[in-house]
Amino acid sequence: MAETRGYRGYIGSRPYFGQRAPQHVQNLVVRDYCRRLEAEYLLSVTEYAMPGCFIMLEEALRELPRIGGIVLYSLFMLPEAKDRRRALYDRVLGQGASLHGAVEGIAIATEADIARVEDIWAVHQLTWTRAAP
Amino acid sequence: MSNPAPEPDFLTSEERALAASFLDLGHVILPVERPDLLARMRALIAAAAAAHLGLPAPSDDGGFLDTIHQRVDGGGLNGLRLAVIEAVGRESWFRPAYYALARQALGHLVGNEMAMQRRLGLSVQLPGDASSLLPVHADVWDGDSAYEVVAWLPLVDCFATKSMYILPLDKDRAVQARLADFAQGSAEDLYRAVEGDARFLDVPFGSILLFTQTAMHGNRINLEPSTRWSMNCRFKSLLSPYADKRLGEFFEPITIRPATRMGMDYRLPGGFDG
Repeated sequence: MAETRGYRGYIGSRPYFGQRAPQHVQNLVVRDYCRRLEAEYLLSVTEYAMPGCFIMLEEALRELPRIGGIVLYSLFMLPEAKDRRRALYDRVLGQGASLHGAVEGIAIATEADIARVEDIWAVHQLTWTRAAP
Repeated sequence: MSNPAPEPDFLTSEERALAASFLDLGHVILPVERPDLLARMRALIAAAAAAHLGLPAPSDDGGFLDTIHQRVDGGGLNGLRLAVIEAVGRESWFRPAYYALARQALGHLVGNEMAMQRRLGLSVQLPGDASSLLPVHADVWDGDSAYEVVAWLPLVDCFATKSMYILPLDKDRAVQARLADFAQGSAEDLYRAVEGDARFLDVPFGSILLFTQTAMHGNRINLEPSTRWSMNCRFKSLLSPYADKRLGEFFEPITIRPATRMGMDYRLPGGFDG
């Protein structure tokens, strides 16, 4: 994805599926992902702590006409509702941009990528729910 | 008959006055308690900035910092900021000095067993530069605990758009109660909604601003003819709840009192089997 347009980092300040990582560690992972893919890293926005809040992701999506895409610390920071994720994929791909999960090392740039990630999401939601006490 | 002595109270009149002001406004602006240390801190920062730019240490630290935009542009700003913050990080006296600037006031507002942010923040905002803006936010939304106080230290006179703005608590709470209404909007939409109530704080060099990061605040493009230099550091009562900014990775204990050390080390005798 070596392009001239930069990629906006996206990190979180709340646990996702019971998991959290320090914000500076999330930034390291996002920055390293961009470096390995020779993409210009744009300073991360930090999602707010309130559960279900995606105000900062919206901020990043608003930048899509000017950037190459968004690099999430993890794909599991996406909204839990499938239809909301689908709408988000459509906005990203519709702008000719891409979405990335740095921890997973997975990019979403095509319909096939979406199907792959949705399979991962479906299994993750199933297994995480069943594993929870 | 002589007047009876006033009834004793748990809080001094000074503590009461400071607490009332903080609880009413969400912030207080006070003279630093150690001007000598502040001068030393600013001299270090000015010298580090000058060294990064290949210049000798300035004779007028404040004037040099105020006019740094004559020597660096937006493209070189982050490199300068990182060089200065690295220089600060190498000086072990700097954080204790920072604490000493407001030690008594922090004791009154936060407590006397304290955790302090490990890495100090530094903001440099050139006139007209849009690259260093903080959109309207409350730090508690980003993972800071509601029990923290920010000590915001100007290294030059900060006023109007060269300073930061904050919302009065009553206005802030009313907007936060309906924050979800802005879920599909931008941070700028939120700022437009609160703009009329935002107060830009006049914080001259030699003073320090202590504010609650539960209140919305931020900055705008610096429309003044001089450069803003300010530092920020969070303090919290050591044993109050932590949020996403944890002990070790973000905070560090600085004043653990002996009774707490005793308690942490003590274990009740064991070995009973009945």
